[in-house]
Amino acid sequence: MAAIITETQSIKEAVTSINTIELNKFSRLLSRILQKLHLKEERTFSEEEEQKLQSALSLDKQDLSLVLDTTAFILEQAVYHNVKPASLKQQLEKIHLSPEKAEAFCQAWTAVCPDVVEKVRQRIFAPKKLEHVGWQLNLQMAKSTQAKLKDPHAVLELGVRNEDSQSVVEKVFVEFSHQELLQFYNQLETVQAQLDSLT
Amino acid sequence: MSSSHAKVAVGASKDSSFLGGRIPSEIEIMAKQLKDLDQEMFRKILKAVVSAIEGKDCRDAMKAIAENAAVPEERLSYVVAGMYRLLKEALRIPTSSLKQEVFKEDLRELRIPEEFITDFASVVFGNRRTALEAVATQQGPRLPSLKDFRWRVDVAISTSSLARALQPSILMQMKLSDGKAHRFEVPVSKFQELRYNVALILKEMNDLEKRSVLSIQD
Repeated sequence: MAAIITETQSIKEAVTSINTIELNKFSRLLSRILQKLHLKEERTFSEEEEQKLQSALSLDKQDLSLVLDTTAFILEQAVYHNVKPASLKQQLEKIHLSPEKAEAFCQAWTAVCPDVVEKVRQRIFAPKKLEHVGWQLNLQMAKSTQAKLKDPHAVLELGVRNEDSQSVVEKVFVEFSHQELLQFYNQLETVQAQLDSLT
Repeated sequence: MSSSHAKVAVGASKDSSFLGGRIPSEIEIMAKQLKDLDQEMFRKILKAVVSAIEGKDCRDAMKAIAENAAVPEERLSYVVAGMYRLLKEALRIPTSSLKQEVFKEDLRELRIPEEFITDFASVVFGNRRTALEAVATQQGPRLPSLKDFRWRVDVAISTSSLARALQPSILMQMKLSDGKAHRFEVPVSKFQELRYNVALILKEMNDLEKRSVLSIQD
């Protein structure tokens, strides 16, 4: 399998720093990074957490960020190529990571690998994404132009989130009569048929 | 004694007119104005008012009628307003509730000349009725409805985070009746949720339409 990590100068420096870290502290660091790996925007550690880490691991600011970035990079490459744990271990030993650290990587990876890959796979980037579906069924009894109706009407509320505005969900309201809803459903069935033909 | 009882009984059995307890003023005024209106003119005005209710542009027809000096403008405006209101109110009530005879009787009470009553009745109960009802269904307050729905199924083969992704996703574009267009991506799981919910609403609609609430005649 092609090497997923090439031994560049910065990798060498990072590896040297990683090898100095205590094993259990490093394992905890690994699991924390893995948890947040599939989230694009968020920083794994806040400013204060990074400062605490600096003293806990006895690394200065530059070395710490090198260690964090490199660890994240290795994990991202592992996700990208979907490497097996054994293969990952080999590659890590090749870049001169100490055997115990390589083992720690391996174990952490085995534990979460399928979940992380699945989460990353589900990530779509599109300007707008459908997040929420709500609906209301009403029985229209009358209106200004017609009396004595008994017309069922449905209102669909689609919550669409914009990619850049994390908190704002745009609500799209669409009203359907029985006939219109039936038409819409038939179109959805066609989409489903297409999805089924893919598997 | 018995005769006065009979009178009271007759008075009580006839409910208020289909126009309600109080006749709208424009209809009362129109009724007076119709007295010596020539039927030819009446029919022309009626035609223009009906096409206005259908939503068509009737400015030219009205202009042509107004230019005919036989009818002064003030009188014309009373007649048009009254006709429009009368027809709108009559069309609002479904034919199962308002029968032709009752309609005609109510118009006689307003002292509208008999030939005009026949003309009104032919609009309300004639074969133009379904077209007029369709227009009424479309009008009235509504949230935007779906005018155009397009979709696309994509499969992401590879992304910057995953060399072999093979993840399907759906892109939907909805054009609504208020002119707005919405384009958004739908993850497969959300699509299933949408499909399930739409099916659920349809089932509830079917149940609702079968229930006895709807078979109450009014």
